[in-house]
Amino acid sequence: MANSNLPRRIIKETQRLLSEPAPGISASPSEDNMRYFNVMILGPTQSPYEGGVFKLELFLPEEYPMAAPKVRFLTKIYHPNIDKLGRICLDILKDKWSPALQIRTVLLSIQALLSAPNPDDPLSENIAKHWKSSEAEAVETAKEWTRLYASGA
Amino acid sequence: MRISTVLSIPKGAASILLRYYNWSVSKVHDEWFANEEKVRKAVGFLEKPVIEYPNVKELTCGICFEAYPPDKIHSAACGHSFCNTCWAGYISTAINDGPGCLMLRCPDPSCAAAVGQDMIRELSSNEDYEKYSRYFIRSYVEDNRKTKWCPYPGCDYAVDFVVGSGSYDVTCRCAYSFCWNCTEEAHRPVDCGTVAKWILKNSAESENMNWILANSKPCPKCKRPIEKNQGCMHITCTPPCKFEFCWLCLGAWSDHGERTGGFYACNRYETAKQEGVYDEAEKRREMAKNSLERYTHYYERWATNQSSRAKALVDLQQMQSVHLEKLSDIQCQPESQLKFITEAWLQIVECRRVLKWTYAYGYYLPEYEHAKRQFFEYLQGEAESGLERLHQCAEKELQVYLNAEGQSKDFNGFRTKLAGLTSVTRNYFENLVRALENGLSDVDSHGASSRTASAKSVGGTSSKGKAGRSKPTTSRSSSSNRNIDDTGHWSCEHCTVANVRGLFERKRVSLSQPFASGIVKAKSIVG
Repeated sequence: MANSNLPRRIIKETQRLLSEPAPGISASPSEDNMRYFNVMILGPTQSPYEGGVFKLELFLPEEYPMAAPKVRFLTKIYHPNIDKLGRICLDILKDKWSPALQIRTVLLSIQALLSAPNPDDPLSENIAKHWKSSEAEAVETAKEWTRLYASGA
Repeated sequence: MRISTVLSIPKGAASILLRYYNWSVSKVHDEWFANEEKVRKAVGFLEKPVIEYPNVKELTCGICFEAYPPDKIHSAACGHSFCNTCWAGYISTAINDGPGCLMLRCPDPSCAAAVGQDMIRELSSNEDYEKYSRYFIRSYVEDNRKTKWCPYPGCDYAVDFVVGSGSYDVTCRCAYSFCWNCTEEAHRPVDCGTVAKWILKNSAESENMNWILANSKPCPKCKRPIEKNQGCMHITCTPPCKFEFCWLCLGAWSDHGERTGGFYACNRYETAKQEGVYDEAEKRREMAKNSLERYTHYYERWATNQSSRAKALVDLQQMQSVHLEKLSDIQCQPESQLKFITEAWLQIVECRRVLKWTYAYGYYLPEYEHAKRQFFEYLQGEAESGLERLHQCAEKELQVYLNAEGQSKDFNGFRTKLAGLTSVTRNYFENLVRALENGLSDVDSHGASSRTASAKSVGGTSSKGKAGRSKPTTSRSSSSNRNIDDTGHWSCEHCTVANVRGLFERKRVSLSQPFASGIVKAKSIVG
C-alpha cells in the first residue's frame, strides 16, 4: 500500500492543505491512497471560467518531490493550454519543476493559468488558433463550456 | 585556470562561466568586462546571499520540511537551505536528467543561484559525480568550437583544432585522420560537399556495387575468380595460367606502358570505354546503364585504393612490429637507420588516401570541361604510376633484403632509391592536392591549348619526371635482384637481360615456379 512509509513532507503538505486551504482551491487525499488527491478549483473571477467548479486529479509519484506531481483536469474545459484529455501544459509540471515547489504552489499556478491563458504556447492547437483569431468568440465558447460542464458539480 | 585569476572569482565559478560561454575565453572576458552585472545574473553568481541566517540551532529544509542542525544543511550562494539528503536527491535527479545538470540552480524556484561543481562533488554519490564529470568533459569537447571527438569508432580521444593551420585535415592521437569541417575521414583535395554527395551515392548504390564488385574478378584469360591480396595492380594468375594483367582494366600487363599513360597507370576510363575491348566492360554494358557504368568505374577505383590503403596500413604495422627488427639484424643496420622504410609506408598510406579521393573528384568533374578532364586524368595517371612505383619498391624490392642470408652490398642503394621515391612521390602528391584544391585553375587561365605549359606549372609534374629520369638506371642489378627501374625497363631476376616493353612477356612466361614469391601473388579462389 502506498500509504505506508509516506514521507513526512507529504504528510505535512497534506495537513497544511486541509488546515489552511488556498482561496478557491480544495485538495483532499483519497482514502485508500494518500498520494492521490481529489482537487477542485473555482474558476477565477473575471475569467471565462468564473462560476465554474473544475475537478482535477493530482498524483504524487514515488519520486516526489524530486519529480513533479501529475495533474489532470477531469472536468471538460475550453482552454488553449489544456487538451481534451485534461492534460495541462504548464512549465512547472515539466522542466521547471523544483522540489522546493509544493502541491499548493502547483494548484495556485493552475488557477493562475485559468486567469491568463497563453495561446502562444498551446497544447490544443485548434483552441489556440481560435483564441488568437478571435479572442472574444473563444472566450464565449469557454464561458459556454463552463456553463455546460462545470456548473453545479 | 586563467579566468579565475583574471576575474578574481573562484575556480568553480570560472568553469561555470566558461561553460556558459561555450568555453570561449575571449567571450567570457568580453562579456564580463562589458557588463559584469548582466553576466552574473545570467549564470547565477550572487554577490551576496538573499537570505542570511544568524546563528541558529536548527534550520528547516525547504524540500522535506524537516529541521536540521546547520552542519546537515547546505545552501548555494543565495542562502536557501536544504538538507544534505534532499540536495543529494535534487542533484541526482538533475544529473540523471541529462547534461542540463551542468547549469544547475538552487532548488528554490524564484532563485537563480548557480550550483557549482564543488557543491555537486560534496553532495552527490560517486556514481552521480562521475556521470556529472562525463557531462562536463563532453560539454568541453562538444560545446567548444575548437574541440571535437575523434570520429573513429571506439576512439575516446578528443582533438584540439589549431585555427589558421590552413587545412581542415586533423590527425588524432589514435592515428586516424579526419576532416575538421565535416568529420568524415580526411579527404583532401576533395571538398566536404563532394564527399557528402559521394558517400550518399555509395550508400544508395552499394547494393548494385556489391554484386558488380563482389570481392573478386575473373582472370581475363582462364576465367577463374581472383582475389587481390596485395597492394599493387599488377596481377599474375597462379600456374598453370600465369597470365599477367592489370587489376583495374583486366587488360594484359604487356599492353601497359606509355600508351596507357605511364607504365603503371591505368586511369583511362574513356579509352577503355571507347575501345570496348574488355569482356567485363561488355558485360557491364549489357547489364547496366551508362551512368551506372561510369559510376562503377570511379567507385571501383575509389574502393580499390581504399582497400589498398587498408592493406598498406596493415603492412606498415607488420613492418614496424616484425620486419624492421629482422631487417636490422640481417642487414646489420641500427633500426634508427631504417626509418626511411616506415616513412615510405606512411607516404603510401597517405597517397592511397589522396588517390582514392581523386576518383570522387573525377566523378564530379563535369564532362564538358574537356581540357580540365584531360589534364586531371594526366595528373592522376602520373600520380598513380608514381605511387605504384613507390609501393612496388617498398613492398617487393624490400622483400629481397628481408629474405637475404646476410648483409646485402647494395642495401645503401636501395635506401637511396626508396627514400628518393618517397620524397618525389610526396612532392608530387602535395602539388596534386594543391592543384585539385584550387579547381585546376591553371587550365582556366591557360586554356586547353596550353596543357603542357600548365602541367609544368604544377611543379611536381615536371620535377618528378626529371627526378625519375635523372636517376641512374639500375636495370643491370645483381642476379638476386629483380628490378623495375624508372624508365620502364624490366630486369629479369634469373638472367641479366633488361627487358624492354613487349619483350618481357615472353621472358616472364619462361620463369620457373619459385617466382611465386616474386612480383605479385594472385590467389585463386576456385582450384
